[in-house]
Amino acid sequence: MLSALLLIPFAGALGLLCWPGELATERIRRAALGLLLLQLLWSLRVLLAFDASDPGLQLQESFAWVDSIGLDYRLGVDGLAMPLVLVNAALTLVSAICTRDLSQRPRLYFALLLGISGAVNGAFLSENLLLFFLFYELELIPLWLLISIWGGANRGYAATKFLIFTAISGFLILGAFLGLALVTGQADFGIHPVTTAQLGMGTQLVLLGALLIGFAIKIPLVPFHTWLPDAHTEASTPVSVLLAGVLLKLGTYGLLRFCLGMFPEAWALLAPWLAGWAAVSVLYGSLAAIAQRDMKRMVAYSSVGHMGYILLAAAAATPVSLLGAVFQMVSHGLISALLFLLVGVVYRKTRTRDLEVLRGLLNPERGLPFTGTLMILGVMASAGMPGMAGFISEFLVFRGSLAAFPVATLLCMVGSGLTAVYFLLLVNRAFFGRLAVTPPSGDAVADSRLDVRLPAVALRETLPALALASGVVGLGVLPWGLGKLSEQATTAMAQLPALVAAIQGGGLLS
Amino acid sequence: MADLFLAAASSVTTAASAAEAIASGLGTGALALQLNAGAIAPEVAVLLTLVVCLVVDLAGEKAASRWVPPICYGGLGASLVLLALQWDSPLEPSFLGSFLADNLAIAFRAVVAASTLISLLLSWRYVERSGTPMGEYAAILLAATLGAMFLCGSTDLVSIFISLETLSVASYLLAGYMKRDARSSEAALKYLLVGSAAAAVFLYGASLLYGLSGGATSLATIGVALQTSASPITALALVFVLATVAFKIAAVPFHQWTPDVYEGSPTPVVAFLSVGSKAAGFALAVRLLVGCFESFDAQWKFLFTVLAVLSMVLGNVVALAQTSMKRMLAYSSIGQAGFVMIGLVCGTEDGFSAMVLYMAAYLFMNLGAFACIILFSLRTGSDRIADYAGLYQKDPLITLGLSLCLLSLGGIPPMLGFFGKIYLFFAGWADHQYLLVVVGLVTSVVSIYYYISVIKMMVVKEPQEASDVVKAYPAITWNLAGMQPLRAALVGCVVITAVGGVLSSPLFDWASSTVAGTPILQQAIAAAAIAPLG
Repeated sequence: MLSALLLIPFAGALGLLCWPGELATERIRRAALGLLLLQLLWSLRVLLAFDASDPGLQLQESFAWVDSIGLDYRLGVDGLAMPLVLVNAALTLVSAICTRDLSQRPRLYFALLLGISGAVNGAFLSENLLLFFLFYELELIPLWLLISIWGGANRGYAATKFLIFTAISGFLILGAFLGLALVTGQADFGIHPVTTAQLGMGTQLVLLGALLIGFAIKIPLVPFHTWLPDAHTEASTPVSVLLAGVLLKLGTYGLLRFCLGMFPEAWALLAPWLAGWAAVSVLYGSLAAIAQRDMKRMVAYSSVGHMGYILLAAAAATPVSLLGAVFQMVSHGLISALLFLLVGVVYRKTRTRDLEVLRGLLNPERGLPFTGTLMILGVMASAGMPGMAGFISEFLVFRGSLAAFPVATLLCMVGSGLTAVYFLLLVNRAFFGRLAVTPPSGDAVADSRLDVRLPAVALRETLPALALASGVVGLGVLPWGLGKLSEQATTAMAQLPALVAAIQGGGLLS
Repeated sequence: MADLFLAAASSVTTAASAAEAIASGLGTGALALQLNAGAIAPEVAVLLTLVVCLVVDLAGEKAASRWVPPICYGGLGASLVLLALQWDSPLEPSFLGSFLADNLAIAFRAVVAASTLISLLLSWRYVERSGTPMGEYAAILLAATLGAMFLCGSTDLVSIFISLETLSVASYLLAGYMKRDARSSEAALKYLLVGSAAAAVFLYGASLLYGLSGGATSLATIGVALQTSASPITALALVFVLATVAFKIAAVPFHQWTPDVYEGSPTPVVAFLSVGSKAAGFALAVRLLVGCFESFDAQWKFLFTVLAVLSMVLGNVVALAQTSMKRMLAYSSIGQAGFVMIGLVCGTEDGFSAMVLYMAAYLFMNLGAFACIILFSLRTGSDRIADYAGLYQKDPLITLGLSLCLLSLGGIPPMLGFFGKIYLFFAGWADHQYLLVVVGLVTSVVSIYYYISVIKMMVVKEPQEASDVVKAYPAITWNLAGMQPLRAALVGCVVITAVGGVLSSPLFDWASSTVAGTPILQQAIAAAAIAPLG
């Protein structure tokens, strides 16, 4: 059942590439949309088959692939992976829908999109470390191509930077996995928590350190974040949606599944430092976002900040905070995708994203009123207004972490407040006031004569954004569905350190 | 040239006796039993092909270009079949202990023969266009193959030296095959000078071994003798022998010849040198180091570690700066040899299997890449990386093939190279070779960068950014003589590279049964397993 989640996108991608003869762009797009819709439906089917009351892995499939290196094809889904698989299916579909005016190589484009989606599914569902690594590396080249072929003016630089950062992250992760699997003597790449009896704390810390840095690059956390703003600025809107909404989640998923899930003791030891790191990341991301002129860069930096919450929640590792982390992954996926979509609409209509230039886009007659409205909604959700997804996740994260790390949590709350600052700056500058899309010349008379009329936004262009916005509100109003889905898994994960300590039969640091 | 014929003549005599032994059959007893000449049947097939090629060449240019290719396919195919039949057969040293057809020898001989077969498929058009006699070219390449194949199974200093020289002399000739091209002559001369020096060094090392062991030439006997000899001369012999091996596999700092030779030589020859010759070099390394210097385990492993680290770092870093495709692949092959050396240094079961597996993977991915650049240079006459800009529009086949092969060389999943590399790192880590694995991981990132920059040239550049060469790209035709084999080789290598990774389980089994069927490796593994306990 789970294999179909890999088969649909991968076979679809190959089929698109190899289909004989010329194909019109529109037909290719429809085929890709059909496949992605199928993938979404299948993900929903998996959701129906999924038993939320079971904290373990379900719907498992396995066969030995390459025995010599312990690479098994083992898939399984639990409360942590299930929501992410759904987000992946939904957001890939959204990014395919909002791909418009594709001037060149549509086949390759949609095939890569499908390939990434399949690889991400594979990474979320893998139960074998090497298999996870394989899928983790698999999305590297397609995304590099997506940025470097269909990107902005400086795309070569941004794409290469992304590639190198992610490649380094991949090899750090591989090194850690090899170390973990082989240090015990036999090649076991299954995902089990290790105990100090098996592995000394020093070794654990080294391996965990390598994993942490590897995933911190992907998430990204300060100071490994520099590739993200560049990649987002140069990537086209659909690719940004995919990157922010889905691919960054590979990092946070890895953080929860592999760092916390496999090194519970070393994690507990490092947790205070990690909480501090999270606070630094949140504050740095937020402050840097305030300083941005480019709307897309601002949203990108907001991602850096908001990903820090997940590290905080993971560091606290209480049942509530981990549930908050899952909520934050989903809601950040939806919200950042929404914001990138809307910034994309603004850019397409005005040919600029410069906050020094854009003014008054909310103008009901000649501006982009509907886009502006959705933007305000998205911004509010991101800042954590009650009634929307952002509030639930931030509340859970802070509620779960406050007792463990009061200072770090308070600092992150400040960061959450800063989100409101920079996004209000964005809305205030770009959407309020008198409509303008060119820099003011300084001459009041000339400026007043500028008659800007932006092209109207068709309903179908806003449909994906509308869908995401309703998802954001829906999740904010009715969070219990997702809560029920993940609660068992996150609770089990939170109890892991205690469990391991109990197995050790003594204190952690004694 | 004279050397070649000398070497060929000596091979002919051995082969003749082999043929006799085969003819006299198994029943006639003692001679066949002792010589056990059936072990070299695959080489005999290659030798017969060589002779037939030379004879056909006498019949004139036309007949040669008509008949030489099928003869070569038949001969090499027969050789591969014979190798397959030898697999796991009971081990009898042949020719009084100078040749042993264990599974390691069979595996590496198969790699050599396959690399020759693919190189020949790539060559026809190239040779045709350069206007040189086809039979002669095929004969020299087959002579090199013969040397390389004998080298893989040699267990005696004399037979090692003879096969080494057969391989080397034929390689010098091949490097200088484009007589009118100054760079080709330069390559041949450089190769000859450095190679002769290496051969002299080997001879010196071999003479020391001969003396130390009290007049034995068989590697096994020398190995036993060395166990009791602690004289510093042994270290000297080890260094000399190691230098020869390093020269053959182009490990830093014995790599200086590689970029120049690769750049100047005809590209199909480079394809052979980078795979076939290197595979033979690794087989030689196993025979000498594992089979003979077993008692100096720590020493040669240390030296090899240094060589591997230097090769990975220098090969991959210098490749970044290259503008010529062939030079880039030359440095990349130095780096790849460094990766393979990880497996050799481990000395564990996984280590040896990983080495064999990676050689096999390297055969397909590297030859696939060479097929693409040969095709590109046939169509455009260019070899500069910058000239590949915008190629995807004009030639999707080359773009796809070269991209997949380079990604595989860079170790990107789901290509074959990914699995090979993972296995090497896995084996290295299991044997606690942390330094090597970490260097390997870091230099892999570096290698991804330069492989990717070629792909970027081909795939990412827009039509308006295309190079002049690509803008003036000729229409694609396959009906010229020798193009169909080139296409077949290209497609075959690329398909195996792309699909072989996902279906690599049998390949892994094959690699581990290679190790299982090789006595010297089993001894080394047993020794390595005992050592930590003691």
